[in-house]
Amino acid sequence: MKMHSGRTVAAAAALMTATALLTGCSSSGSTGSGAPASGPVKLDFWGWAPGYDQSVALWNKSHPDIQITFDKTASGSKGGYTKMLTAVQAGNAPCLAQVGYETLPSFAAAGALEDVTSDTSSAKSQFADWTWNQVTIDGKTYGAPVDTAPMALMYRKDLFAKYGISKPPATWDEYAADAAKVHAADPSVYLGDFGNDAYNYAGLAWQAGAAWFGTANQQWQVSLNSASNQKVASYWQGLLDKKLLKTDPSYDPSLYSDMASGKILSDVNAVWDAPIIASSVKGSSGQWAVAPMPVWDAANPVYGNDGGSATAVLKGCAHAKEAAEFALWMSTDADSVANLIKVTGIYPAATAALSNPALSAPDPFYGGQKIYDVFNAETAHINTSWQWGPTMTQTSTDLADGLGQAGTGGSKLPAVLGTVQTKTVAQMKQQGLTVTG
Amino acid sequence: MSTATSRRTTVPAPASAERRGSRRAPAHVRRRARTAGAFLAPFLLLFCAMYVAPICWTVYQSLFRMHRDGLGLSAPTQVFAGLSNYSAALADPAFRGSLLRVLLIGVVQVPVMLALALGLALLLDARSTLFKRFFRLAFFLPYALPGVVGAIMWSYLVAPGLSPITAAAHHLGLHLDLTSNSMLAPTIGNMLTWGWTGYNMLIIYSALQAVPPELSEAATMDGCSAFGIAWRIKIPLVRPALVLTTVFSIIGTAQLYNEPAILHNVAPNLSSTYTPIYAAYDAVDANNFNAAATESVILALLAFVLSFGFLRLVQRRGAAL
Repeated sequence: MKMHSGRTVAAAAALMTATALLTGCSSSGSTGSGAPASGPVKLDFWGWAPGYDQSVALWNKSHPDIQITFDKTASGSKGGYTKMLTAVQAGNAPCLAQVGYETLPSFAAAGALEDVTSDTSSAKSQFADWTWNQVTIDGKTYGAPVDTAPMALMYRKDLFAKYGISKPPATWDEYAADAAKVHAADPSVYLGDFGNDAYNYAGLAWQAGAAWFGTANQQWQVSLNSASNQKVASYWQGLLDKKLLKTDPSYDPSLYSDMASGKILSDVNAVWDAPIIASSVKGSSGQWAVAPMPVWDAANPVYGNDGGSATAVLKGCAHAKEAAEFALWMSTDADSVANLIKVTGIYPAATAALSNPALSAPDPFYGGQKIYDVFNAETAHINTSWQWGPTMTQTSTDLADGLGQAGTGGSKLPAVLGTVQTKTVAQMKQQGLTVTG
Repeated sequence: MSTATSRRTTVPAPASAERRGSRRAPAHVRRRARTAGAFLAPFLLLFCAMYVAPICWTVYQSLFRMHRDGLGLSAPTQVFAGLSNYSAALADPAFRGSLLRVLLIGVVQVPVMLALALGLALLLDARSTLFKRFFRLAFFLPYALPGVVGAIMWSYLVAPGLSPITAAAHHLGLHLDLTSNSMLAPTIGNMLTWGWTGYNMLIIYSALQAVPPELSEAATMDGCSAFGIAWRIKIPLVRPALVLTTVFSIIGTAQLYNEPAILHNVAPNLSSTYTPIYAAYDAVDANNFNAAATESVILALLAFVLSFGFLRLVQRRGAAL
């Protein structure tokens, strides 16, 4: 009798484990399916930029029928994109996601985006043309552009003066000369840093009109190793060979520690990097300034762009219309844009937003300078034909590896571009894409 | 002769008795089987769901690839690829390099670490050693630290610009960059040795504890030195523990990920395909799940062949002895 009851307990335990497992699966499945017919529509939004949550809160206050939940993920290249793509594969992706322009074609190629052309087409005229082109791939629109990212030179005004640089370098020739001057005055001090961020490097190529990807006759063209790209690579390799640049990894604590101690005097980076520097080297507040990015040809200045992202609608969204409505609102609503300018440090993609008063606020970290004036002046001179490829995750990882190697002297930039070109073409061919180049 | 015949004649008897018995008490046997099944079910269910199913899914995924046409800017289709993912992975110099790299690190680091672990265990086991408990804890402590924490600590100790080791070497007039291309493997080997020696030492040490003290006493009386006792008595007796730690270390090295991934933060020259798992993760990042599955299967097979190959080798040699 005793044995019998023991057996029953064992069987019951086994059954309970089994049901727990089964219900565990099914219950998580049911929460993923669409919202009930009545009540507000609930949408999830994944992203990492600071300030997005505050724009979402503004929306939720004024739109009781569509409630958005913002979930902060790791930044795209640090695992955020992997998480999004995996969620799409698993069928439980959020409706909305922060996706950089550079990664949108890769998302499209992965079939991870929802076509919202008909829900967004009426808003096209509110955005700068080229930004709309960044979210429209092969005739289909997948979301709303949020910002663009013109690049500039952020520099230490006081230390430039100390090392005898009377005005910030306007051309790359002057930049090289100043780099040599600073390094000669004190070998432990560098004018700038050559990091390992692939997209920062892309901004340098972008400025030089050195396209990486193009399409013609339904074929991809890969030109990472073109003559104009080699020109950019040779310039930076020249500075590296003379050891005129520091090679701290991009956005690494070592970079900011060198900036704080006055070992690195400037950084060529995008508009959104301005608040990052401001919060990373607080001690030197007021000593910094922003100047236009050095150019190749002073008579005909052209600037680069590093970043810019979209609010994309992900595949499988049950409320794509509402999601698109939010995406457009976030990029165009005056309060939302003011918040994004102040907290996120965006340079808005919506044309009307360029007159937002937040863009003319003086910045105490940059000595009270109205830093957006610099970016405003640049935007008319940014190459708007730049096109990203469909395998950017792979390409940017390979390039970042190569930049790291170049920084430590393991290989040379011109050779790195050749390697990345070969790998990118191989990767595209392996996926069945038609490639020339 | 008589025993042989008697054995031959008695063999059928219990068998037939059992057969008769089983016909009489089938309920009893069935009940026992059911009980066993009920006890096994939770394990089997979890084992299948968490272990067998993912392996099958990985192998299945490795046989397909995503196909796109033209510009490929719309959703791809999955097509059967046979073994072409495998040939592509093995033809990829980056992946082949990662396999060779862990092999090389394993061939150098595992023997060094195990020799160290064995030496420390023998010292702890020696009768004349002082402060045994303190040293046992001190040697084991690195393993008690989470692996990632250890890796972060070491990455600061070797980071260019921060490293006190580099600074000390510089003071002595030596140029030492612990994150240069040629020093990456030794640096990672050092991190592994630091983290795992104590763990292996503890396994070997507990095996040593099981060696009967009479053997050592008898050997001492026979005039054997302490070194001789260690070499002739103790080491042969802890052979199974050494085999076990070697197999664990081979598998651990094949799965190397934490240390290089953390080190990458301070050493951007460390490529994102440095080890096979790193490479598979890189493929996931690029949304190429099929390649990631293929690389995982290859790595699993390699670890399987190496660890079982090693087991077979020592078993055959053990039988010959």
